[in-house]
Amino acid sequence: MTTHTGTRLQNRVAIVTGAGQGVGEGIARRLAEEGATVILAARRAETGEPVAEAIRAAGGIAECIVTDVAKGESVQHCVDETVRRHGRLDIVVHNAFSGAVPHLLHEASMEKNWKLMSKTGVWACFFCARSAYPHLQESSRRSPGEGGGRLILITSPSGVEGSANIALYSPAKAAERAIAKSLAREWGPQGITVNCIAPVAGSPALAIAFERNPDLKDAIEARTPLGRVGDITKDIGSVALFLASDDSSYVTGQTIVCDGGSFLGL
Amino acid sequence: MTSRAANIKAQIGDLPSHARVVVVDVSDVPVMAAELTDDKIQVLWEEPIQRVITELQNAHAAGCTRMVVVTPLIGMSGAAGYSAQSAVAEAARVVVKSAARQWGKEGIVVNAVALESRAYGFDELVAGPVSIAPRAMTRDVSAKGIVQWLCSDAAGDVTGQTFIVDGGSWM
Repeated sequence: MTTHTGTRLQNRVAIVTGAGQGVGEGIARRLAEEGATVILAARRAETGEPVAEAIRAAGGIAECIVTDVAKGESVQHCVDETVRRHGRLDIVVHNAFSGAVPHLLHEASMEKNWKLMSKTGVWACFFCARSAYPHLQESSRRSPGEGGGRLILITSPSGVEGSANIALYSPAKAAERAIAKSLAREWGPQGITVNCIAPVAGSPALAIAFERNPDLKDAIEARTPLGRVGDITKDIGSVALFLASDDSSYVTGQTIVCDGGSFLGL
Repeated sequence: MTSRAANIKAQIGDLPSHARVVVVDVSDVPVMAAELTDDKIQVLWEEPIQRVITELQNAHAAGCTRMVVVTPLIGMSGAAGYSAQSAVAEAARVVVKSAARQWGKEGIVVNAVALESRAYGFDELVAGPVSIAPRAMTRDVSAKGIVQWLCSDAAGDVTGQTFIVDGGSWM
């Protein structure tokens, strides 16, 4: 693991949801490499704590706060506890998402197939937004015109293209893009930026998909101009770092598709 | 159904028996994100999007082969004060693509019409402009023509698409 020598996010405090594995873990590691204090909001301490420990072992600052993003009070607790411990909150990355299992649209059940995706994807966006807003606003007040409050939502290329295999995953992810655009407009006057990343990366979810379909990896690599699946830290974490840092202070309401050039439809 | 959504549906008029139009039905009352309580999220996001999904499932079960979802343009543009409604609008626009991809082999075509804010009654002073350029047309516009066409045989090779009806704002 890279040692923590960067300073681009020094003195900034970030929450990353779903940081116990996959894309969330990669983003947490990359933000910590650049000096951020990172709160890993993971549903299970068994996944969040080892990532926090690995970051600390490499010289970074990280803690795990067990959080169920599907519950507003749990998200509020995570935000309150972060501010109580560290005095501020500058960056929120909502990455957590559950329930994306294959299903047919005409057979999908609201209770079985939709509820969990809606709760962990869309409701959780609203929970993160309403709980973090006063602190992100304060962050922007501290440093007007540059690095201020940042909300980053992790969506998916499927949220743009639709999906034949996981039909209701796509609308849940599309909703997150719309929320980002609306909040970019709503919070822009306060200096808070809101953006999305649509990644394709070597996450546990993708590993399961590869197990189910052994030809999938070759198919993805063949259709991807860069010829490989993204790395959660180097490829995806670095885009999150850009959106979290001063370098992106004039970028808001956007979706960066980070998939090696596979989707070129924007 | 709100009176605005009912009005949009009424303007479209009668359709062939094999066709179904789903009009996304969302509130025109702005609510800032910091004020979205759980009850408001339920009413402004969860219930409207579940209605859209259920109506598409019902249309499939009824054997419809032409489906059109009419949704507010704010899903594509975003709108201050309407984050929940814009989420519904964009989710509805993209579930159309999933439906088109999944049901295409059954001979079913599914498309979306993105309708301008004024038809839905959104407060444009709150929401913000859809485009950096002014609206090209001055007259009111209706989804009727494009929906009727999408439900006709002539449109049988078109699926998964979004047609914007906004008088030429978003280009």
